[in-house]
Amino acid sequence: MPKLKIQKKSTWVDMTAFVDVSFLILSFFMLATKFKPPETVSVENPKSVSSENVAEKDVFKVTFDKQGRCFISFSTDEEAKGRVLNMLKVVESQKGISLSTQEKARFISYSVGGIGVPFSQLKSLLSLSEDQFKTFQQPGIPIKDTADIQLYDWINALLVGNDNRKPANVMLNGDNAAHYPEFKNILTAFKRNKVYSFKLITAQEQVPVGTPLDQTRKKP
Amino acid sequence: MGADIDSGSQDHGKKSPGVKKQKKASAKVDMTPMVDLGFLLITFFIFTTTMSTPKAFKLNVPVDTEKEEEQTEAKASGAFTILLSKENHVYYYEGQLLPDASNFKSTNFKDLRGILLDKKTRTPEKDLVVIIKPNESSNYKNVVDVLDEMTITEIKRYAMIDISPQENELIKVTEGSK
Repeated sequence: MPKLKIQKKSTWVDMTAFVDVSFLILSFFMLATKFKPPETVSVENPKSVSSENVAEKDVFKVTFDKQGRCFISFSTDEEAKGRVLNMLKVVESQKGISLSTQEKARFISYSVGGIGVPFSQLKSLLSLSEDQFKTFQQPGIPIKDTADIQLYDWINALLVGNDNRKPANVMLNGDNAAHYPEFKNILTAFKRNKVYSFKLITAQEQVPVGTPLDQTRKKP
Repeated sequence: MGADIDSGSQDHGKKSPGVKKQKKASAKVDMTPMVDLGFLLITFFIFTTTMSTPKAFKLNVPVDTEKEEEQTEAKASGAFTILLSKENHVYYYEGQLLPDASNFKSTNFKDLRGILLDKKTRTPEKDLVVIIKPNESSNYKNVVDVLDEMTITEIKRYAMIDISPQENELIKVTEGSK
């Protein structure tokens, strides 16, 4: 009787195709994406049909979240850095705070993620080390009380220190659930400084089909 | 075995005496660590990056003027007022608010576009002006949504104004009666 031979099949799997695909995805992610900027506050932006990309240079950004906290941040390009230093000079003289060179450098590096403290706490915030800053819960710049919108003083210092040259991009980064009165107070703070043009940071949304905007955009 | 060059494991069987067979090393490479590393990097990039880039929505606000003569007067026939309240409630009225508030209507964000487009077709373009009045309990999302609606329906003239006590009262009454 012939022996029934059970052929042993190799357990080896050819993974070449698998590797090909995985590295393709990998290279896609490496090329198509940017690193998340450090954020001290997380906001969920509302959606809009706008298709304009957010600028990255010479940015002054005001962030406000659902708890009514307000933060200011700047971009890291040289022009914005110059503005920040000029602004801090005015803040020092107006508010009677003196900041060392190291504290100013810290302000620049911390302001990328957002600075949100009343003027009274600014000095102590800038005395924190980077690790301490990351875990520190900032109370936000006071904006709720219309009599004490400290954001106004920040904008004022920014403009006075820079000979009234407005930053090219004034951006408002608001959370979906942020309350309208706070948004209004922020607009008021800007208006009183004669800044009337903003860019709201929004997530992209498709233009609904059949609407006038949709028809205009489809025209050649 | 297909197109594999490898023969390392199959050369048992014929052994011609005296001929030393050169041992062939397998051409197969174990790619598991490479795949592991690849996927580790993929996960890393997925987590550290932002996919959808944020878009900038331009907003220009008018200069506040105290002087009466500089304020633009809206024609009552072309005015359309949208009131925003809590929990995405939207109210609107056309023209001026009647004393008995009979033209004060309630709607939602879904239907608002149709109402606006209807108003747009009924009104000459130079007269149409939409007035947006968010109340204390409305949120930022509602405001941006309405502003976005202006872009979608291509209404060129709109303004954001503080709500009046009378309108606030109306909203309160409407919401209280539900």
